[in-house]
Amino acid sequence: MSLLELEHISKRYGRGLNEHVVLHDASLEVEAGEMVAIWGRRRSGRSTLLRIAAGVETPDSGVVRLGGRDLSARHCELLGESIGYCRKTFHPNEGRVVLDHLVVGQLARGVAPSTATNRAWEALERADAGSCAKLKPTELDGGEAVRVAIARAIALQPKLLLVDEPTIGVDLLARDAILLLLRSLTGEGMAVLTSTGESTGLSGARALTLSDGELHGRPTRELAPVLPLRRRSA
Amino acid sequence: MQSAVQWALLGLVIERPSYGYELAQRFETAYAGMLHLSGVSYVYTALDTLQRRGLIAEIPGTRSGRQPKPRYRATTDGVDSYKERLTEQIQEDFRRSRLFARQLAVFAHEPEMALEVIERYGVACLEEASQAAIPTPAPHPGDPGSGLAARLISEESRLAMEAKLPWVEYARREFKALADGRDAPR
Repeated sequence: MSLLELEHISKRYGRGLNEHVVLHDASLEVEAGEMVAIWGRRRSGRSTLLRIAAGVETPDSGVVRLGGRDLSARHCELLGESIGYCRKTFHPNEGRVVLDHLVVGQLARGVAPSTATNRAWEALERADAGSCAKLKPTELDGGEAVRVAIARAIALQPKLLLVDEPTIGVDLLARDAILLLLRSLTGEGMAVLTSTGESTGLSGARALTLSDGELHGRPTRELAPVLPLRRRSA
Repeated sequence: MQSAVQWALLGLVIERPSYGYELAQRFETAYAGMLHLSGVSYVYTALDTLQRRGLIAEIPGTRSGRQPKPRYRATTDGVDSYKERLTEQIQEDFRRSRLFARQLAVFAHEPEMALEVIERYGVACLEEASQAAIPTPAPHPGDPGSGLAARLISEESRLAMEAKLPWVEYARREFKALADGRDAPR
């Protein structure tokens, strides 16, 4: 059984002439300790796929399972406990400096203040963002903002980390370091699912593309990457 | 000179003067997964060819001693030929891409066949993109050249994919539209 299973997911926005099929019968499995990246153009549905995997958006049809359990039945308690959805926005009412933002999410889940602070520091150090702890979110550059966002998600000790566009707006050298960070998290048993509009974001991951609502590539880790060409019957 | 291995050996000599056995070892490290060396003895054959063509020259005084290890350096002709070869390779890459597109177009009347090929091509691209190494800041601190090579290879591979993945998507749309008997969405 895979950690995350998306089974025959379909999603459309709008109706009639304005209807836009974002996902059409998309299936995907992600194992613990695996990194999977979805490449797609803008408006291809890659972010929608991640939101559906996180349980923050519901599909029109299909099932999302985490650890074998239907996410739609219990997404509120799972999100944050088992799933870390990496947001890159920082709301002012969640704290003044970066450290506050990492602590407040844990406090909301009942973690004791001292434990939350320790975990926040550990997560920042893990993401190589310890020096950002006392900075205001507005003072972070592109790469630092991503690292802090990852730290905020991993402070909640999720089994699955979802990151939408981890390298967008990040300079070249910082980009590789972020990819290495995400990859290193899989070494600790965490599953990582990312979306990207840059092929560079596929390095080191099982890569798929999302085009016209359809996923292409290996939907599971085991499936052979290249299928033999079929002989067509006359 | 047609042998890719010989050109690669010439490149290694340009990078740093070396003797035969050392070149064989450097070759295995530098071109792992890209070029295959049939054996160490081939290096000596190749060095002989390169020398006869005036692309490399033996460094005087390196053949003496109990175990002579003649070292070779590149000549001006060798460096010029190597640069020319690199440029030709770029043109060859362009030609191959055009050839592939043209050959795929023969399935205009059998778009389902083209879609099968595109699917395989797309998967191959994804595998290549997955395997593109993420270069670490300093993989070999004592050898800046190898670190640079790793970064250049990685970036070339990743940027090539930046063009190929949208092309696969475009080609898939074109042939799907043909299969459905309609114009492709622009």
